Amino acid sequence: MMAQHPLGEEIQDFADGRLTPVRRVDLEAHLAMCPQCARELERLRWVKEGTARLPMHEPPPDLPARVALVLDTEDRRASHARPLRRYLLPAAGVLAAAAAVVILVTRGPRDLPSAVARDFATYGTAALSLDTTSGDGPALERYFARRGLAFRTRVFDLGMMGYGLVGARVHRLNSRPSALFAYRGVDERTLVCEMFEGALDELPRGGEAREHDGIEFRIFKEHGLTLVFWMEGSVVCVLVSDVSGDDVVRLAYAKAVKV
Amino acid sequence: MTALDPERKRALFDATALPLTTALYNTALRLTGASADASDLVQETFLRAYRTFENFSLGTNCKAWLLTILYSVHINQRKRARHAAISLPPEELESLPDENAAGGDQRLPELDERWGPEVDRALRDLAEPLRAAILLVDIEQLPYEEAAVALGWPVGTLRSRLFRARKRLFATLEGYARATGYLRKPVRPE
Repeated sequence: MMAQHPLGEEIQDFADGRLTPVRRVDLEAHLAMCPQCARELERLRWVKEGTARLPMHEPPPDLPARVALVLDTEDRRASHARPLRRYLLPAAGVLAAAAAVVILVTRGPRDLPSAVARDFATYGTAALSLDTTSGDGPALERYFARRGLAFRTRVFDLGMMGYGLVGARVHRLNSRPSALFAYRGVDERTLVCEMFEGALDELPRGGEAREHDGIEFRIFKEHGLTLVFWMEGSVVCVLVSDVSGDDVVRLAYAKAVKV
Repeated sequence: MTALDPERKRALFDATALPLTTALYNTALRLTGASADASDLVQETFLRAYRTFENFSLGTNCKAWLLTILYSVHINQRKRARHAAISLPPEELESLPDENAAGGDQRLPELDERWGPEVDRALRDLAEPLRAAILLVDIEQLPYEEAAVALGWPVGTLRSRLFRARKRLFATLEGYARATGYLRKPVRPE
């Protein structure tokens, strides 16, 4: 055990998980015997916790449009002729989404896959807007915790697979609280994830069952959408999108963890 | 990243960088202290990032890369404005608060959401380099190495400033806790 008090910055290294295993054991032994250094550690952790919990301020509503405008101007500066394809692809996506909205929004009572499909179809409209926009997964997890969701959420990073986080919403799925978060792909396609307390037993018959890495997946198709359900502890996770069914399954396989 | 087709570049940038708008805006707001200045800073950051997007390696930490640009733009704007706060005397950055009054074994109150405005106020009172260290490490959760690159400091400087920033925040918040009755005021010997 160390004979002298460690420097404050070394206690900070301990708090931030930056010590080597050997040094960490030494410092732990010292902290167990030294109230003064233990108090220093408590203070540093207190401040870390307080700053990590600071609320996020929403950007002004016009900021995304301002940024889009300067990027558009930069694009025009770089190339005077913009290919038509850039506008046609998103337009086709908008038309497909509009058709799905009409079909899904006008249906009666829903089972879970239908309810999730409806959420996807209405996402981005006034009926289902995001509460907060952020590309930061841990920040969104903290947001859900602050908003009082009783279960632990895991907002996974799909950046390596070409999907950036857009934001989140504390939602209700068939009257039960759910954490809803959305991604946008490089091709402007949307992926929505919902997490809620429940069980796969609640899903209707008819879905395809698959197993991957010891995790059970249930796959449903609804009006051109693919929905993949799996469990993480007591929480049901579902990914839904109108991209190819194989892609949705692949994304779910990549991100599901056994709890 | 090699040179990109313009359409793919824009799509990749929209998917990778723009979702970080809220994080950038919050850092900018806490650096500048004003919403309009923060918006301008974020806009300029995205423009510079877009112009140099080929320099960004997909799969690495996009937030750290954007925060590097944001802090660089901010410092340059402040230098142009000849703002004095950047060039604080070294002793201001290196000194630690007097903790004589901060002793005691009382349990510290939980810093929950109610403390948000007070924590924000205490952050604003920090010298800017100390505040920047807290913003990138504790709020944006960057590793020391990435935060040091973003701020243009050696890792040792970041570590030292982070420690001083936390000590100062502790002193301010503990003072507030005592003033508002969350902690008992220390009893002075007769």
